[in-house]
Amino acid sequence: MNKTLLGYVPNESPIYAIHPFVKLYFLLVVSLFPLFITAPEWNFLLMVVIFALMMYSRVNMNTLRIYVPVAISMGSIILLSYTVLGGIHPEYQLIIQFGGIHIYWERIRDAIVVYFRILPMIVTMVFFLTTSRERDLIVAMRSIRVPFVITYVFAMALRSAGMVLEDFQIVRQAEQARGFDSAGKSLFYKIRKYVMYMIPLFALSLRRSEEFTNALVARGYAFTGEASRVKRADFILTHYHFSTLDAILTTIISLAFVALLVLRYGFNYFGLEDSWIIEWLRQTLSS
Amino acid sequence: MPAIVEVQNYSWEYLNTDQPALNNITMTIDEGTFVGVIGPNGSGKTTLAYSLDGLIPGQYHGIKQGSVKILGREVEEYPRGELQRQVGVVFSDPESQFTAMTVEDELVFGMENLGMSIPEIRERLDWVLDLTNLAPLLNKPPYEISGGQKQRVALAAVLAMTPKIMILDEPTSMLDPLSRRRVFDVLARLKKEQKNTIIVIEHSLENLIPLADRMILLSQGEITMDGPTTDFFQHIDLLLEKGISPPGAMRFFYELKRAGVYRGDFPLTAEEGWKHLERLFENSTTEGYPL
Repeated sequence: MNKTLLGYVPNESPIYAIHPFVKLYFLLVVSLFPLFITAPEWNFLLMVVIFALMMYSRVNMNTLRIYVPVAISMGSIILLSYTVLGGIHPEYQLIIQFGGIHIYWERIRDAIVVYFRILPMIVTMVFFLTTSRERDLIVAMRSIRVPFVITYVFAMALRSAGMVLEDFQIVRQAEQARGFDSAGKSLFYKIRKYVMYMIPLFALSLRRSEEFTNALVARGYAFTGEASRVKRADFILTHYHFSTLDAILTTIISLAFVALLVLRYGFNYFGLEDSWIIEWLRQTLSS
Repeated sequence: MPAIVEVQNYSWEYLNTDQPALNNITMTIDEGTFVGVIGPNGSGKTTLAYSLDGLIPGQYHGIKQGSVKILGREVEEYPRGELQRQVGVVFSDPESQFTAMTVEDELVFGMENLGMSIPEIRERLDWVLDLTNLAPLLNKPPYEISGGQKQRVALAAVLAMTPKIMILDEPTSMLDPLSRRRVFDVLARLKKEQKNTIIVIEHSLENLIPLADRMILLSQGEITMDGPTTDFFQHIDLLLEKGISPPGAMRFFYELKRAGVYRGDFPLTAEEGWKHLERLFENSTTEGYPL
C-alpha cells in the first residue's frame, strides 16, 4: 500500500496513470459543482460518482469510516442552526411549534440543501487527499508553473504539520513519564495545563527550525530558488508526462462544468422546483 | 598533496557565552585525506564542522578571529551556494536535515539547487543509489524509514552534490551498531573509489579508526592532539584523561603494557590485536616476557 495524504492506495491502482495536475483540477473544479446545484438528489448523485471513482481507484474504503461521525455531527449542527436556532419567520410555513421554538418547512429545506451542498465538496476533497501524496500536490502546482519557492514553502508547511504532531507526542510522553497526565481530568483542567505541552513544543519547534535552516544552507538552497545565480532544473517533473488521457480527462471536467452552467442558467435545471426529494419531503412534513 | 582546508589561529565565540567554542585553532588538511575528529561533548567539534561549511559565521552570531580557508579562499568570500559545492555536511540528527517529501526528492534537491542539468542529476542519482543501496526506498517519505536508512539518505543527498570535502558530524550517534556499520561501509567505499576529503566527527571509534588516515582530538575548544592514526593512538593515557574510551583491543594492550608484559605499538583494530596477540604468545614461549 502507498500512503497518501489521508489514507492508503494499493501499489497497483489506475489512479497512478493520472497526472497530478488532473487530480488537482478535478478537486478545484468539481468541488464548485454543488454551488450551482440546489436539488439535493443531484448533489447526492455527484457523491455517488465520486465514491465510485474512489472504488475504481482502489482506495481503502475502510479509512473513510472516520468521516461518518463528522458528517453526522455536521448535519446535526446545520439542522439545529436552521431550525431550532433559526428564529421566527411569520412568512414561512410553520410545521411544528414547541413553546418558543418554531420549526418552519423552508428552514428544514434550506438545511437539507446546504448539507447536500457541503457533503459532495468534502467528498471531493477526501477523494483528492486519499489518492494523492504530498509530492502529487507539488508536482501539480509546479506543472502549472507556480514558482518553486511557493510550492516549496507549501510542501514544507505540509511536512512541518506532521513534525509538530510527532513532537507533540514526544512532549506528551515526556510529561507523562514525569508524572503529569491529564487523562480523566476535567476539560477546564486540561485547557489550563495545556501550556505545559505548549512551552516545550514551542522550544522544540524553534530548535527544529534552526536545524532545518542549516540543512537548507548545507544543500545550497537560496530562497530565490537559485544558488549562485544558476537556473534550477526540476527533476521530479521528468517522472510525469501529461498524456492524451490526461488531456481528455481535463477536457471532460471542463466540459462538464460548462454544461452544468448552461443547464443551470440556460435551462433552469438542478433547481429546487424540480427536486422530487424536496417535493416528497414537503408533502410528508405538511401532512 | 595540496592543503584543501587551512585554518589559521581561528577562534569562534557564540554570543552570550563566557568562553570561545573554538580557541586559536590552527590546522591544515590535505586533499584526499580521511580525518577523524574526536573529543568530549562541548569540545567544539560541531562548531568546527559548521565553520568549515560556512554555517558559521553565516547562520550564527558571534565573534570570529583568524581565518578558515577552503581551497585557498576564506569561507565568507564564497557567494551563496558556492561553498556548498565544495563542502557537504551530514548532521547527527537525520530527521532534522530532510528538506523534501520523498527519498528521491531529497537526493536530487541539492543537485537542483546547484543548477545541475537533468541528465547530470540522473547520472549522479544512479551513482549515489548504487553506492548507498537506497534504490528500493526511492519513493518513500524520508521520515517513514528506519534511522539507519535515514542517515544513509542524508549521506547520499550530500554525496550526490559531489563536494570535494565531506564533513559528517556524529553521523551514527543515533544509530544501532548494524546501521553504524552500513554508514561506515559507504564511507569505506567512498574512500576507496573517490578522492574526496572526508572529515568525520564521531564517538564510535571502532568504525572510524580503520578508515582514518589522521586523527584530531579536540578538548575545550583547542586541538589537544593531532597526528596520523597509528601515532595518535599510542597516547592512550591522554585520550583516557580527556574522557575518550579507546576500542576494546587497544584498551586490552594498554592494560598489558601497564602490567609490563607488552612494549609494542597498540593495535588499531581487533584483527591487528589478534596478530599482536599471536606474536606475543609465540615470543613468550621462546623469549619470555616482557615483549
